[in-house]
Amino acid sequence: MKPPSENHDLIRWLDGEMTAAERAAFDAELKADPALAREAEEMRSLSASLRTHLPAEMKVPHADFFNSQIQMRIAQMDMADARPKPASFLDSLIALFRQPWLATASVAAVAVAGFFLLVPAGGDSAHSLILSSYAPGRGVETSTYHDAAADATVLMLEGLEEVPADRKISGISVHRSETEPEVAATTLFDAAGSPLLVISRDAAGQPLFLRNNPRG
Amino acid sequence: MPAPAATDLGEVSDVDLVKRSQAGDMRAFDTLVTKYRGRIYAMTYHLIQNETEAWDLAQEAFIKAWRALPNFKQDAAFYTWLYRIAHNVTYDWLRKKKIQGDGEFDDERTEHRVAAGAEATPKGDAAPDMALRNAELGQRIQDAIARLSPDHRQVIILREVEGLAYEEIASLVPCSLGTVMSRLFYARKKLQEILQDVYETTL
Repeated sequence: MKPPSENHDLIRWLDGEMTAAERAAFDAELKADPALAREAEEMRSLSASLRTHLPAEMKVPHADFFNSQIQMRIAQMDMADARPKPASFLDSLIALFRQPWLATASVAAVAVAGFFLLVPAGGDSAHSLILSSYAPGRGVETSTYHDAAADATVLMLEGLEEVPADRKISGISVHRSETEPEVAATTLFDAAGSPLLVISRDAAGQPLFLRNNPRG
Repeated sequence: MPAPAATDLGEVSDVDLVKRSQAGDMRAFDTLVTKYRGRIYAMTYHLIQNETEAWDLAQEAFIKAWRALPNFKQDAAFYTWLYRIAHNVTYDWLRKKKIQGDGEFDDERTEHRVAAGAEATPKGDAAPDMALRNAELGQRIQDAIARLSPDHRQVIILREVEGLAYEEIASLVPCSLGTVMSRLFYARKKLQEILQDVYETTL
């Protein structure tokens, strides 16, 4: 099919890019040419539909998570800039959480961080309380329970996509936590007493993850 | 533990929010994110027609903006500057997709699935039958936009959604004014062709 010949005047008329004189001349041309007038009207109608049905602003899905993840990623980058070091287990874990199939799990981690900020100093997990959980995936349900034998709070994610077979998953073994109310921060320690992660809130009340380097 | 006392930043000007952000105030930057996330997400979504990727790219744009803030001299409006970053992030992504040759953005493609969860900001109440017709037309238009090439889709979005002038589009893309007009002409002709049945019944 032969492509339509370009008519830049028509486009400029439609988009208001003509001078007053050019517009007057083109209006006269439209009156004299019914085919051109019909073409102009069709394009004008199309433009009106596009403006109506392509909104300049849309609701962002999971908007709160959108903001908090930006802050978390910025904090991670700032930490990496400030203290460059070889990749550790925690780096791998953070990278793991950013895999698409674990997006929901990373969200749950944020939800759990909210819990850690609220537990009393001393971290008695027998009295742990998950205030809320949040999953962006429509088919994913989150729940938690306290496992007395393991002395741990377990986060359950039902409905996640199947994890690829080549991925080896393991968790962080958090032995205890300490909360410092003065600086609104909770530090997680491993069994050897080395700090794994510092969790705090930024000025907007969003979770902030700060990695502590056990090797100094 | 109570959250720190906070002042409402909603009424603070962009200029002040940017200054605070440049001084390292994440809360001020978070206010800017909240203010512009809907517009940036709409732009990325219209350009790539995929909810998840658009969400990620919009985030990427804000993160790049944060990193570049120290060099932002406020010689342009913050949104204009942010929009350019978001546009470049999105168009780089489109270029990579094109190089990968998955054919997703082929003009000749006849099928496209728009994300089911895509949701436009509601614009008032319409009668149910009218609302349904509007929703159907909106879906048809989204499908038609998705069938344009990235270059054609880009100029249509910049012109019809963002309302940019030809010179602004030429500067942003970048390309010549003639190329802008040419792409707009062919993009509209293509949309007319795809939506022919719609306009046969409405015109």
